[in-house]
Amino acid sequence: MDRDDAERPGWVRLPGYDDDTGYQRDAGPWRGAASPRAGGVRRLRRASNWTAAALIAGVAAATGYFVHHAPPAAPTVTTVTGTAPGTGSTAGPGKPTLSSPVATSTGSGVVVTTGPGGVKTYHYRGDN
Amino acid sequence: MTAARYLTMENTWRRIDTGARTVGVAERAALGTSARVAAWPAHRLDRVLAVVDTELALLDRQASRFRPDSEISAACRGADGAQGGGSRIVSEGLAEAIAVALAAARWTGGLVDPTVGGALCSLGYDRDFAAIRSDGAMPRAPSQVPGWQSVRLDGRRLRLAAGTWLDLGATAKGLGADRAAREAAAAVPAGGVLVSLGGDIAVAGEAPVGGWPVLVADEPEPTGQLPAGGGRPARFPPPSPRQVVRLATGALATSSILCRQWRRGGRTLHHIVDPRTGRPAAGPWRTVSVAAANCAEANTASTAAIIAGDQAPAWLAAQGVPARLVARDGSVRLVGGWPAIHEGLLEPPETGRMPAGPGPVAGPGGRAGPAAVVDRPSPPGATRRLAGRTPPGPRRSPGGRRWR
Repeated sequence: MDRDDAERPGWVRLPGYDDDTGYQRDAGPWRGAASPRAGGVRRLRRASNWTAAALIAGVAAATGYFVHHAPPAAPTVTTVTGTAPGTGSTAGPGKPTLSSPVATSTGSGVVVTTGPGGVKTYHYRGDN
Repeated sequence: MTAARYLTMENTWRRIDTGARTVGVAERAALGTSARVAAWPAHRLDRVLAVVDTELALLDRQASRFRPDSEISAACRGADGAQGGGSRIVSEGLAEAIAVALAAARWTGGLVDPTVGGALCSLGYDRDFAAIRSDGAMPRAPSQVPGWQSVRLDGRRLRLAAGTWLDLGATAKGLGADRAAREAAAAVPAGGVLVSLGGDIAVAGEAPVGGWPVLVADEPEPTGQLPAGGGRPARFPPPSPRQVVRLATGALATSSILCRQWRRGGRTLHHIVDPRTGRPAAGPWRTVSVAAANCAEANTASTAAIIAGDQAPAWLAAQGVPARLVARDGSVRLVGGWPAIHEGLLEPPETGRMPAGPGPVAGPGGRAGPAAVVDRPSPPGATRRLAGRTPPGPRRSPGGRRWR
């Protein structure tokens, strides 16, 4: 297996390759002038850092935007539950749609219903 | 109004064609009024009706004061068969019904009082409404109401003072609707039911799209077609607008002084008795509809509002229950979030407002009994709570449990 630091035809090593003062140890700006190789690597690393930071910020901003502004993919399902615990807690398909009243709430003793055609009917207990 | 519009209701279910094929509707006479059941899917209706039959029969045997063989009649008669009083063990079902009635009394500061039975009898409502005598003398003095604090219920042990006649009319039908709806919903696990007992409506399971449409009416008994002896309103009241609302959860009940009227001594009486006076309530509201977490509570609130009079709107709003009040002149007042629009969705509170008793106790055989209500004398000023304060305690429905 070739070593990545092996001599290759056509490749020219940057000055400082064999220098003991490599960038990993003393190539910081606080150490004065660096070798051309160290400077190139440093620029590359800085560019990568900025790129990564920009990507992270962009993804976060986009995620936040969609979380707060995007409409839900599907309408919210309204769960209707009655007085019976544990019975039918989710809205399923095939629920009927009623357009006219099925019952009347009025004073006890008489129930008034309106059937097809608007015919009002009084239902009494006691007249049977 | 012609006689042809009136139906002779029998004790067998009669199918009602509402035009909706996916929903089955039937009705029959029950508990001194009519029972109406709607269920979907429609092919489950027979099973639902069977469940409702069972519940109504149980409640009738437990809590009807018009049946001499009912459990509550026997309890009120007492061991001597005349004046009542004493102590006895009642069924779990009746214990629950009485516990709910006492909770209603506590919640309303005594305005809905189960001990008004004697006052109702003295006014002439001493039998099934259809059989009330046509007229008679008005009692010279109002009957004294013993007061709900005189009733002691400790588990299944009921103690009544002599001369106490219980009337659970303000809560029993609602409780029956709650029980029936809850049990019937189990028969339609993928559907829903609506149970109406004389206009006290409970729903359970899945409601149709947008909720069950219910007509809220404030209508007098039509003249000329009243049950024998029932009399007729002294004068036809001014009409009020009707409204269709939609109910997806909870319950809806309406109390009115326009129905169940009869005459005594030339006066028109109605069945909502003010326990403070022993006379029919004489407040500004003629009809009140209330939506609540359960039907017993809805009927309690609507009855209390009729009796409370001017204080009713504030109390109802403080309880957070949507309500529709019709004044004697036909004007309508909405409180507590009652929808103003036609076919608006009612949104009753998810949890009950009535205070429960101290909690369940161990009953015979190790089975937990109903919420024990051991009513002790209240401190001075503890009653007449209808100014908006809610008693402390867990806010769950006393009728949320089911007992036989």
